[in-house]
Amino acid sequence: MAVHLHVASAYSLRYGVATPRALAERAAELGMGSLALTDRDGLYGAVKHVQACRAAGIGPILGADLTMPGERRAVVLAVGGTGWRSLCRLVTAAHSAVRGSPVTSRELIGAHAAGLVVLLGPASDVGQAIADRLPDLAARRLAAWRESAEVVIEIVDHHGAGDGHRAARMLALAREAGVPAVLGNAVRYLSPGDHPVAQVLDVTRRLVPLHRRHLDDQTGQAYLKSEAEMRRVAELSCGPGAAPGEVERLLADTRELAERCVLDPARDLGMDRVHLPDVTGDPYERLVARCEDGLVRRDLTRGGPGRGGPGRSSRHTAAEVRAHLDHELGIIRRKGLAAYFLTVADAAALIRERGIRCAIRGSGAGSLVNYLLGIGDLDPLRHDLVMERFLADSRPGLPDIDLDVESARRLEAYRALFERFGQNNVACVSMMETYRARSALRDVGNAVGLPPHEIDAIAKAFPQIQARQIRAALHELPELRQSNLAQGHLDVIFRIAERLDGLPRHIAMHPCGVLLSNATLRDRTAVEQSMAGFPMSQFDKEDVEAMGLLKLDVIGVRMQSAMAHAVAEIARVTGEHVDLEAVPHDDGPTYEMIRTSRTLGCFQIESPGQRELVGKLQPRTLADLVIDISLFRPGPVNADMVTPFLESRHGLRQPDYPHPDLVPVLQESLGVVVFHEQVLRVLDIMTGCGLSDAEAARRSLATEAGQEQVSEWFRELALARGYDEPTVERVWRVLTAFGAFGFCKAHAASFALPTYQSAWLKRHHTAAFYAGVLTHDPGMYPKRAILDDARHFGVPILPLDVNRSAETWHVEPVSQGASTAAEPPPSRCGGLSPLEKHCASTAAEPPPAHCGGCGGSSPCEKNCTAGIRVALNEVKGISRAEVERIVGERDVRPYSSLRDFWRRARVSRPIAERLVMAGAFDDLAGEGVSRRDLLCRLGALDRATVAAARVIEGQLPLDCDEFGQFVEKIPAGELPEMTPAEMVEAELAILGMDVSRHVLSFYDGLLDALGVVRARDLPGRPAGAEVLVAGVKVATQTPAVRSGQRVIFATVDDATGPVDATFFESVQDRCAATVFGCWLLVIRGRVRHPGMRAVTLNATACWDLVSLYEEWRRGGLPAVRHLMAAADRVGTGPRAGSRIIYANGFAMSPYADIGHAGGAVKRPPGRLWHASGGSSG
Amino acid sequence: MTRVFGDPVDVWVTDGRPVRFVWRGRLYTVRRVLEHWVTTRDWWREQQPDEEPAGEREFWRVEATPDTEIGVYELRHDTATGDWMLSRVWD
Repeated sequence: MAVHLHVASAYSLRYGVATPRALAERAAELGMGSLALTDRDGLYGAVKHVQACRAAGIGPILGADLTMPGERRAVVLAVGGTGWRSLCRLVTAAHSAVRGSPVTSRELIGAHAAGLVVLLGPASDVGQAIADRLPDLAARRLAAWRESAEVVIEIVDHHGAGDGHRAARMLALAREAGVPAVLGNAVRYLSPGDHPVAQVLDVTRRLVPLHRRHLDDQTGQAYLKSEAEMRRVAELSCGPGAAPGEVERLLADTRELAERCVLDPARDLGMDRVHLPDVTGDPYERLVARCEDGLVRRDLTRGGPGRGGPGRSSRHTAAEVRAHLDHELGIIRRKGLAAYFLTVADAAALIRERGIRCAIRGSGAGSLVNYLLGIGDLDPLRHDLVMERFLADSRPGLPDIDLDVESARRLEAYRALFERFGQNNVACVSMMETYRARSALRDVGNAVGLPPHEIDAIAKAFPQIQARQIRAALHELPELRQSNLAQGHLDVIFRIAERLDGLPRHIAMHPCGVLLSNATLRDRTAVEQSMAGFPMSQFDKEDVEAMGLLKLDVIGVRMQSAMAHAVAEIARVTGEHVDLEAVPHDDGPTYEMIRTSRTLGCFQIESPGQRELVGKLQPRTLADLVIDISLFRPGPVNADMVTPFLESRHGLRQPDYPHPDLVPVLQESLGVVVFHEQVLRVLDIMTGCGLSDAEAARRSLATEAGQEQVSEWFRELALARGYDEPTVERVWRVLTAFGAFGFCKAHAASFALPTYQSAWLKRHHTAAFYAGVLTHDPGMYPKRAILDDARHFGVPILPLDVNRSAETWHVEPVSQGASTAAEPPPSRCGGLSPLEKHCASTAAEPPPAHCGGCGGSSPCEKNCTAGIRVALNEVKGISRAEVERIVGERDVRPYSSLRDFWRRARVSRPIAERLVMAGAFDDLAGEGVSRRDLLCRLGALDRATVAAARVIEGQLPLDCDEFGQFVEKIPAGELPEMTPAEMVEAELAILGMDVSRHVLSFYDGLLDALGVVRARDLPGRPAGAEVLVAGVKVATQTPAVRSGQRVIFATVDDATGPVDATFFESVQDRCAATVFGCWLLVIRGRVRHPGMRAVTLNATACWDLVSLYEEWRRGGLPAVRHLMAAADRVGTGPRAGSRIIYANGFAMSPYADIGHAGGAVKRPPGRLWHASGGSSG
Repeated sequence: MTRVFGDPVDVWVTDGRPVRFVWRGRLYTVRRVLEHWVTTRDWWREQQPDEEPAGEREFWRVEATPDTEIGVYELRHDTATGDWMLSRVWD
């Protein structure tokens, strides 16, 4: 039986082609008893290989193909547990010298030789000496190896020119030296037909175009050969003149080595148990004691009403709390996880001690123990959460606890963990970035030598889909059908690109996973440096779990950073210390604001779909928000739970309960099953199985086979408990429709908290809220949309100013008197006047009212006079050091002039120019000096600096008095001021947002001529009316919807508010390319009133505003109408895209929820409205 | 000296290896196979690549003789099309 000892999987980045699973399955098909995985310089695929071998019923062998100096290589294989430990440490050592370029030496292998066998093949130093016909040198090198480690000679013959002769000489060397020889095939792919992919990877790795001289694989023979094929290789390698039995001996030695190297996953790799950090003392006793402390600290020993946190009233008595705790502790004790909880509690406390905001997310919030230990701040009893969703006797493996921390301080949290648990006992988890359509097209395009701009155009034309969908997408997506990409000569590129699908291409640090273990961690995983300098395991999160290692997810959440920034700003400006955790959860004005859907910037509820839903749902409590967040998911949408819930909620129908017994469970959601927790309780009530088994049953519902099993079990038990047939049937239908799509209530509740907190900040500390959101950019909208929202909420936007702008967005009090005095000329703050108009107009509308003029409450009035100051960080290309110098020098003494700034802040000239263009010196320069004058002066200063440096050679300090004489004089008013349009253009180019006035205002003439309706006037339009709207695109989404169509939701903003438009598949042929490709849009659609106050459009057509404007200037209104009519005729009519149909009948477009074609929406495109071009749709 | 040709030849194959070939009307008998190797096709340079760029080129460097005089000949075999070609001659 043949065996492959030298096999690279796709985890040999840009080298191997096949997945470990495919390799193991093929090996089993070929009747092989074991298979090695020897990836290049890494163990990235090791766990997957072991699992794949187990599934295929063959023995796993692990090793690595290591890079040696001088482009040489050596393969090492692990024998037993000792070998595996050596292998982990050797790979770690190979990576420790230079990040990203692992290198091993003979000495290094010698230092880790215990349990390792070294295979010296054609790429080894011995093999190279043989190839160079230097047999003596080869023998000396072999002798040196034998002193360092156990070695065997590896014979490889890929049938390339000269391969056969070299193999024969290698074999002769082995025989002479008395070293065993084994046969390998240096496998890179499964089948002979895969070699083009390997060849593309060869040139991609080297960053060269495809040419024979750049290829490692010249012969297409590096596939997983069968036993017969390997025997043929052996015969050819031994040559016609070989001694009798030589072929058999070679094959037998290969088998023998393989048998020695087969690893036992449990005994050798420790995959049968968990490896938790060391805890002193008896962990369970300590856990119980900590929980007792927690009961006191959380004030849960008394029970009854009045206890607990802000605005809470409890339904649970002290005895109930105690019973619940004992139940949880029982599970933890039986599973032996006390040390796990203590460790996580330690970690959470550590993070909080540093003043980093930290919240628990996910199912862990359902555990009372987590609450008592201070891991989470959500009382599970109050929210009716159950522990079993998180940890149950029936749940295998380690539970998952996720912690949300401020994104800006995530690495600080990591560093704290490394300090506390020890550098060698902690590692970050890695993840493999894989090829997707765009990256695959880029790499293949480069390999075949396509011009870079063409590659760019092709790659950007594709949405962010998987590479294997490339050709399907070409036919199905309207925006690609019109692109002419599906032409013959590109076909080969698309074909190869598809085959790169899913191959790993880059190792990166997992965004949140941290491994906490004990001193044996480095024996269990190879570790390398991440880009940020953290030790990073080569295992991904699934591998880590399989290896029994504890992974804590520490997730950076931008909203937490945004809120921390807002709270810090409130303290800085007013001295008031806001404790968000202590804010009552029943603040009326906050819910009032949420109910009007003015929730841009708020956590979780800012997307167009969510704004529509909160408008319909009209939340009044935190529990309503929990339900809202849970409903806005594919599952509830699919099972059509939203409509009955909303109808019951608004009293349009009676809540519908399948059985009176289920009323207590389903009451909170008015008869609709929304939460996983409800599924558990329904199963428990109907069958009496207990929550633990109910959780096991719930997890089985995810698969069709599982559903069948559970179905039988459920019916039997429910009927036995006396429920009648129709009830059982009905409940079962609900449960299966709910499927595995529903939402964990604990998760929703832990999301509802920051949702409420962010909305509360927006309502009561509006300016500080925007400062936080603009600094940390947590949401889906571009900053300019947030800025526009701030204007609508009456927050003055203060322009960039070198004497006032800070590194980040700051709140700045604007006193009414001062603002009139210091008010810049109207051209610069045109935004202010429509803003005031808007405030006045909202006064007539329903609440919320936020500025003094709109009659807000007293904290509101205080905020009305608080503006936000544009941050220095927003200036394109500015470096951290430059920002620090600008702020640092200013703190010493404010800048007195441009020259003063130039001398002291020492920023680069392009940055100084951008600051000038963005108006950062307007206030300093005063009236009559235009930005153009300032630019000119800046040039003079720069020339003088260069001249001074040259003439005096740096002897004379730059800030000496004589310095002035070198500078040319530029009189004020020499050059004309920029027009408002030029200013906005500069702002968009430099800051990425229109600060002084809204971009769209420049098109007012055309828009009025066309009769375009503004966002603020839309609610007054009757349903079904056809209108034109226009605006700047702020978001496009293609979420999963019930019909399975790919629906494009686009949001544009027109200075009076956002307009949401929906493009169904029937219009996408003529609209999709424009929607995704253009920044300024004109949309025609029919008005729809889905909610109380919400308005959306069903779009029927759309155009690029820039093209229409060009046309208008050229030929007036008739020309525009002509162009619009022409665009209407384009298109081939509706064509149904493909659908993914789920087991429960839920259909979904394969293109739902993916990044779309074209550039990102977050920043305006490079070319702006004065440039022509762009298709008209 | 080496001469490079690209002439099509007819080849008789036994046991997977060439035994006789006809080049420019003369019959050559293969005495010994000196070397045999394969390469993949330059699929990326082809105008109309096939759906699967499989198939390879097989090279045979052989000692062969039309009469008494022995020369070294390199035969090229395209496994996809089955064509044979005499690529080089040393004589």
